[in-house]
Amino acid sequence: MSNVQVATGVINLSEGDPGLVNEIKELGGEELLECIQCAKCAAACPMVLAGFSFFNKRVIHAILLGLRDALLDDSSIWACQSCNRCTEVCPREVNPFEIIQAMRRVAIREFALPTLSIEGLKSLYDTGHAVYLAGAGSTRAKVGLPDKPPSTVANLEALKELQAIIRQTALADLGIIPMGESDVTETCEV
Amino acid sequence: MPRIGVYICHCGENIAGAVNVEEVRKYAEKLPGVVLARDYLFMCSDPGQELIKQDIRNGLIDRVVVAACTPRTHEPIFRKSVEDGGLNKYLFEMANIRDQDSWPHWHDKEGATAKAKKLVASAVAKAAFLEPLDDRFVEVTRASMVVGGGVAGMFAALDLANMGYKVYLVEKNPSVGGNMAKLDKTFPTNDCSACILTPIMVQVGTHPNIELLTYSEVESVEGSIGNFKVKVRKKQTYIDWDKCTGCGDCVNACPAKVPNEFNEGMDNRKAIYIEFPQAVPKRAVVDIEHCLSCAKRTIGTKPRIHSKTGEPILAPCEKACKTGACDRSREYNPEGEIVELNVGTIIVATGYKVMDKAPFKEYSPQSPNVITAMQLERILSATGPTEGHFHRPSDGEKPKTIAFISCVGSRDKRYHTYCSKVCCMYMLKEARLIKEKYPDTNIYIFFIDVRTGGKDFEEYYNYCRDLGIKMLRGRVGAVDELPGDRLRVRAYDVDLGAPVELEADLVVLATAVEPAPGLEELGRKLGITCGSEGFLKEMHTKLYPVETPVKGIYIAGCAQGPKDIPESVSQARAASSAAAVPLTLGKVVVEPLISEVNQRKCAGCGTCVQLCPYSAIRLVEDKGRLRAKIDEALCAGCGVCAAACPSGVITLHGFTNAQIHAQIKALAC
Amino acid sequence: MKVGFFVGCNTAFNRPDLEQAVRYAFPALGIELDNLEGQSCCPSWGTMPSVDVVGWCAVGARNHTIAEEKGLDILTVCGSCYGSLAESKYKMDINPEVKASVNEILKKIGREYKGTSKVRLAHYYLYHELGPDRIREALKHRLDGLTVALQPGCHTLWPSKVYYDKEEDPFHPRVLKEMCEALGATVGYYTRLLDCCGMGAMRSTDMEKAFKLVEKKLVSMKEEVNPDLIVTGCSSCLIQFDTAQEFLRSGKKINFEIPVLHFMQILALCLGADREQVTGLAKTDVGPVVNRILAG
Repeated sequence: MSNVQVATGVINLSEGDPGLVNEIKELGGEELLECIQCAKCAAACPMVLAGFSFFNKRVIHAILLGLRDALLDDSSIWACQSCNRCTEVCPREVNPFEIIQAMRRVAIREFALPTLSIEGLKSLYDTGHAVYLAGAGSTRAKVGLPDKPPSTVANLEALKELQAIIRQTALADLGIIPMGESDVTETCEV
Repeated sequence: MPRIGVYICHCGENIAGAVNVEEVRKYAEKLPGVVLARDYLFMCSDPGQELIKQDIRNGLIDRVVVAACTPRTHEPIFRKSVEDGGLNKYLFEMANIRDQDSWPHWHDKEGATAKAKKLVASAVAKAAFLEPLDDRFVEVTRASMVVGGGVAGMFAALDLANMGYKVYLVEKNPSVGGNMAKLDKTFPTNDCSACILTPIMVQVGTHPNIELLTYSEVESVEGSIGNFKVKVRKKQTYIDWDKCTGCGDCVNACPAKVPNEFNEGMDNRKAIYIEFPQAVPKRAVVDIEHCLSCAKRTIGTKPRIHSKTGEPILAPCEKACKTGACDRSREYNPEGEIVELNVGTIIVATGYKVMDKAPFKEYSPQSPNVITAMQLERILSATGPTEGHFHRPSDGEKPKTIAFISCVGSRDKRYHTYCSKVCCMYMLKEARLIKEKYPDTNIYIFFIDVRTGGKDFEEYYNYCRDLGIKMLRGRVGAVDELPGDRLRVRAYDVDLGAPVELEADLVVLATAVEPAPGLEELGRKLGITCGSEGFLKEMHTKLYPVETPVKGIYIAGCAQGPKDIPESVSQARAASSAAAVPLTLGKVVVEPLISEVNQRKCAGCGTCVQLCPYSAIRLVEDKGRLRAKIDEALCAGCGVCAAACPSGVITLHGFTNAQIHAQIKALAC
Repeated sequence: MKVGFFVGCNTAFNRPDLEQAVRYAFPALGIELDNLEGQSCCPSWGTMPSVDVVGWCAVGARNHTIAEEKGLDILTVCGSCYGSLAESKYKMDINPEVKASVNEILKKIGREYKGTSKVRLAHYYLYHELGPDRIREALKHRLDGLTVALQPGCHTLWPSKVYYDKEEDPFHPRVLKEMCEALGATVGYYTRLLDCCGMGAMRSTDMEKAFKLVEKKLVSMKEEVNPDLIVTGCSSCLIQFDTAQEFLRSGKKINFEIPVLHFMQILALCLGADREQVTGLAKTDVGPVVNRILAG
């Protein structure tokens, strides 16, 4: 727990939030309680190998103890590669990846998300692409392709459709990004 | 007018914690026919039962309703108090307001109380129609059958045989011995498995009261406690066992090679084989599927005659056999032989099997150096494929570094959610045996939780740690193949808080213990269900651990769930004493809760005859007409006939139409 | 044969040479590509999937319906697109509540998710629909004499339950290997084959940590295979392996360079595509290895 301890000192369990478990279950982490902390998920997890303080096993344990602040104060969950190797090997069918996503969903509801994610969401809304490089036209031309791919960036009707969908989702209620009807201009790389 | 007494049990907090007992008591008091309603903390205790007896003796009541727990365990207790009080014991009815009410509705107190009232009202309504009935007794066949010849089955058989009862021991393999015969040494005392088991096998093989039926399987079971009729199929050995001496000459002569089950597939046996050198009975069998039919000696054909010598042309096995036991002219008969047994009681001890490594792709099962713990057991055993020399499979080198992986297929929702219970200890044992013999071997055991509950087990664990066996908390996530037949084991060490890797020469998987193949089917033949995990269900986990819902059938060993040897033997000996009780009494009580035909009104349509699962009903001629007749000894009281009878002239005693209608009406109010 | 080409973000804007490779190779093998006009982001993991399940599936479902309307499967060369689309489909297909909520949203734009189109990964599609033999027959150039190391990519392997195109044993993948062998390459095994390259959310969060992963893989490849070329099955892995090496060299973490291409780029080359159009944006020096391929 080296990094966690350095960050928070002694963890006061009595300050744990017992509601966090249900919140996670409601946001897609339905199988949370199946976890027996066997650590199989962590054996080859990229986050563990790269040295992040929180990763599948430890995120789940922290959630079970209700350590909301420790999880929100740390950016590890945003480094999850979604590689899903944990889901493949988990003998309890916990879907650890989905628990990390659910923790991100909790964090987003408290506006505890990295700037890059905000930019990604904004780019998705504004252009239809989370990763969009406005200057890509010349690169595309270099390899003999039209300026734009046949996606929302080349099709305003399609973009409007997508925006209409996003405006119906939970993202609209959270007010994280402005949701007007905009032109395709900006650059974003996530 | 019946005078009904209602007794409501608090069951400590078990019922009273969810049900307002006083409210239910007041409600019961006002029900039609009820003359008194009482409650007590524990109705089944002596003072509780005394309440019932006193009220009967004082002439206050002539029917009894107890609202408490489950009739499965407590109905006999209350029937006895009713009888002791001076009433016919069948003038008693039970309402289960615990298992079916307070427990499932624990968080809905109002609902639980309302449901308790309904259940009590329903039992009271039935009680008004109860009739006195008389127990029946049947004679018991003083013999028993034990299914499974492993350590549990053998002990159960020996105990019964030593008490003087005839025992048929049915084993599906050619020899008794079971899985224990494969083990090298046994925890927690490290006795040599063969040294403690083979004398038992010999006793079983030579006991005058035990009839061994090996290479045999149960085909069907009929009847009930005291009088089971069992058909056993003796599989075809294609060897005359009366003549076979187990010399092994035929085995040596046989050219066909088949993976050896006894050595967990790590070497080959012949198509004609003796299961293992210490087999009991030591007899050869022909594995006809893998037999090459040398010299065109297909089973069941006459030998061709040599054109010059005029001698018959025989297969090598036949030629080698000095006693004439191996004679391929004998009839081809894959069906084998059916043997009929009459027994009073049955013990099921069919044991277990361990999972194969193949499903665990993340552990590189394709590598010969990834083995199961049972395979390691054979490698360590002096009777195994390496004759006890510690060699790894790929190249025969002695492994320098070994990784054990626990809980492979256990505590795993994709295979078995239960803990296999014996793996922690057998991994420690195998590690210890290696470490004691080759102290320079590096041994790492990766576990989730070390579970060493059991007499002397924790001491065993500590001793292993003292030997320098390394224990790591963290389930292994990957085993990758490295050059040189080595393996990289990857885990997250929970205590270090870091990912760890180990380069090993041998990886041992502690694969799960699972029910023996065919257990569920055997259960169906016996009328015993398996739990969700596939093991046979006992009658009651704590109080009746060797009994089953079928009277006269008992279970022992791993057929009921994963167990170690001490536990299996204890349970086997408990099962044998339970199974001896009816044999000793010589007769058993059969509840009179069976069906009866009103013959005068029977139209003889035969509907019931077709439906009866116990073949207990026949059509007999009575005054020139066919009418149904139920054999009391065979009727199990299931009630199918009573429900199906178009004329409504079959009565199931204890569950008459009037009683059931009254119950339903009370529930509908 | 016809399939809908889902371009995604990184392929369209970062590595359009890979897009061009797909647009060349498929028709060259007699498979028509549909543009799936109006497609959007899959959506990528850090966006809608991190907000809520229904929103994720709704944005995914819009892409699915574009293919469904045309009766086509969806083809990707990007592991993330493959993963996100396959997973949103899986969620909607096994959970009627999620599907109903999504369709409630789609109704607003006159669409309905039915679940009739499959999500396919390019080289798996070719493996299953044509087979290595037919591809071998169509080649103009071959990789004979070249040794390659593979990077299958996480999203082609797990979670295996959500994929239509999948490995029989995801812990010992064979498809990319057999496809490279069909092109004539010698495929070397290295023990870090299954590990993640570090591209994606991790690289966005902490580049230095993410590069530790690709470094470990590169060293394992170099020591155990010493390949002439790294072949990836995923556009994100392509970008990571292609761009990380210079950074790692300047930080003295490695002292070598191995050229990197996506399988579809190599296939396009072997089928006769213009080398600039299908490999022209590589940061690693792919020139010599492309020369050898075109000579082969």
